[in-house]
Amino acid sequence: MSGHKWFVIARNEYRISTSKMRAMRPYFPYLALALLAVYVAFIAPMVVGIFMDDFLAFIISVAAIPMVQIILFMFFFFFLLTSIGDTLREVRTERLEAILAAPIRPSDMLLGEFLGKMPFYAIAITVIAGSFVALLNPLGLDMIQNAMIIVIFIITSLSAVWIGTVIASILRTRLAKAVHGRDVGRALSVVIALPGIAMIYAIISGDLQDELVDPATSGTVRAVLNLLPSSWGAEIFSAFAHNPGNIGVVGLEAMTRFGGLLAFFLAALLLGTKAVNRAYSLEPITFTAPKADPDGPFYKAVRCLGGGGSSGILLASTFKDYGRRLENISWLVYTVAVIAFMGFFNIGGESGTYIWPGAPLKALSLLAIPMLSGFVVGTVSRGKEIVLLYRKSPSGMNKFMITRLTQSCLVAVPVAALVIASSTLFVPQFTTAQLIANTVWASLRTVAIVAFVLGLATLIPTFSDESRTRIFGIIINMQIVMFATMGLEVCLSELGLRFTRIFPHVDKFTGLLLDYMLVTAIWLLLGMILLTLGRRKLDRIE
Amino acid sequence: MKIVIQTEKLSKCYGNIKAVDELDLKVFEGETFGMLGPNGAGKTTAIRLLNCIIKPTSGTATVKGHDILREGEGVKRITGLLAESPSMYEKLSAYEFLEFVGALYGVPGDVLRQRADDLLKLFGLHERRDYLLEGYSRGMRQKVLIAAALVHDPPILFVDEPTSNLDPSAARMVKDLIEQLTKRADKTIFICSHILPIMEEMCDRIGIINRGKLVALGTVDEIIAQTGADDLEGAYIAMTGGVEEKDLLAWREQGIVGP
Repeated sequence: MSGHKWFVIARNEYRISTSKMRAMRPYFPYLALALLAVYVAFIAPMVVGIFMDDFLAFIISVAAIPMVQIILFMFFFFFLLTSIGDTLREVRTERLEAILAAPIRPSDMLLGEFLGKMPFYAIAITVIAGSFVALLNPLGLDMIQNAMIIVIFIITSLSAVWIGTVIASILRTRLAKAVHGRDVGRALSVVIALPGIAMIYAIISGDLQDELVDPATSGTVRAVLNLLPSSWGAEIFSAFAHNPGNIGVVGLEAMTRFGGLLAFFLAALLLGTKAVNRAYSLEPITFTAPKADPDGPFYKAVRCLGGGGSSGILLASTFKDYGRRLENISWLVYTVAVIAFMGFFNIGGESGTYIWPGAPLKALSLLAIPMLSGFVVGTVSRGKEIVLLYRKSPSGMNKFMITRLTQSCLVAVPVAALVIASSTLFVPQFTTAQLIANTVWASLRTVAIVAFVLGLATLIPTFSDESRTRIFGIIINMQIVMFATMGLEVCLSELGLRFTRIFPHVDKFTGLLLDYMLVTAIWLLLGMILLTLGRRKLDRIE
Repeated sequence: MKIVIQTEKLSKCYGNIKAVDELDLKVFEGETFGMLGPNGAGKTTAIRLLNCIIKPTSGTATVKGHDILREGEGVKRITGLLAESPSMYEKLSAYEFLEFVGALYGVPGDVLRQRADDLLKLFGLHERRDYLLEGYSRGMRQKVLIAAALVHDPPILFVDEPTSNLDPSAARMVKDLIEQLTKRADKTIFICSHILPIMEEMCDRIGIINRGKLVALGTVDEIIAQTGADDLEGAYIAMTGGVEEKDLLAWREQGIVGP
């Protein structure tokens, strides 16, 4: 029986992953297979056909090999992080305890977890591999060349998932034993994505490709990438692209690297199973319990900002609960880092080229402020039971809404003010008045957007404490705000409600400030309406 | 005796399911009233209705003269609740949490600080008052939650499974505390629990609820007499149903072999 226990674990993992679609679980594999077949046969060739010309020009260019190395590294990194992130988001000991109590070997456990996740990774791998084949098809590669490319891709992806599973198991065991391990896990799952995002932005902006065209830079990047196993199959990709139908073109060095990739995968499997006994243990590391420090000047100031007395205590208490969660801090770091990447890589238009004082305000209002507000409100508004605690008390829901709004503003506004002020400093010629105006306007806009997002979050509450569900809720709210922001700008332009048009003598910057004052007032009004509706909704939740 | 809680055909439906079905009940001032019932019988729904956390589908109730439909704020002010599955801010210390709950009920600052300290001393948590709740055991959390239900000194206290998760000495302390609250502080206590000896020992009167309906009401002796059982356990099973002895090990008769 012990030989099949990995299967029991794998089936259990699969059931957990598909628990939300229990009714269609029996048909899911067939449905997934059918959809994948449709994708590979019809959709992928159609989609890649749109940018086929650019791709064909690229694949025979100087930048091709390092770029393919980078793309493979991105996939490797993506599968590795997804595997680790999934585990870190929900670090729990309960399941581990039940399984450790059963007569089961740790290697069965690890293998079971890996295979249980595999169907979902297989879907992603098939989609990406299908797109690759569709892209390479016009080059006239033969069957063996296509098969080798797919094998390289599958081995690279599987290595990443396996290493991710092993790392995640070890991290989970370490974190599960610590009192705040769950929080640390969630915080890590957020920030580990940042290097990948930076790289994606670098690719989107074209900066990376420009650097790779330069032989000197390209050589350095390739030297670094060659050290990574994810790159070891990239030269075969490029060699095949240059010599379709000629399998003999692949040199000894490339084949050695390919062999190295295979050896790396096998070694990772072996070492993973060796490390597994360390990965499943509930031996406590420490009994140190976290302690609260006496209120410092910051919390005293928050009490004062909350109006002192009972409302000051309420605000300070919720702020403490917010600030002591590493996950919240990591979301803030994540948001600020993404905004910085957007500015650095010139994503979203004017941010990289601040040629006039209004540019930072315009650029940040479109993307950065909605994003910041979405993440802050998402982390502030959590927990149905906390809502019930407020609801039990007299005028509790009013206190709840005021506390949440104040708290969200106190977190989001300083960040927005700091970002806009530092962005304005990059404008070649700015005055102090413009710096102050930008900062004040961005702060007001943030207050209005926060009110709107909080209204949305209370109207469509995501009470689940499960990290993935909450992130989904945050992203939905953020998308609504971003689209509404753009929609409102377009509407006002179409209606001719622009101060520079109505009053042509007003200069461009003042016109922008007046326009934004109107937009902010509209946001605030919408926010108040949503907050009122949201409050009623929360009052009725049972 | 003065009636402090009175329900009149109080009902709560979720679709076709009647969680509470025309509940008629009177609880007197200074009394410890116990509500017994199997899982899902409607005890927690009844408590939530009486604390104005949810609204009834039909019927109404008054709590110390305040109508739960029209005077929710008044009801909330005079009641304390230890919920069945309460939540707490895990990143607050025990003292900070009591300070937070006290602030929710508008307890003045100086009174609140003193009361929070006194309650933590009473529950033997004063030395750990600055430790974050996330590091507390279940029993310690339960003590903090009981303290939180008392922090605004309400005249009526609703407690759902007050001694669950507590060690025997802490459970004894909670029982003594509830007894003292009724005898010396003239509080009215409404308890829900599955632990029959506790209910038998602490409650002046008991109501048994099954599938939303009140099936028995009276003192322990009166309820036992109604069913002709030997004790409260027998009476409870007679009214709510149980598993027969012959069925207890029926699951083993399918030839299952052990390891």
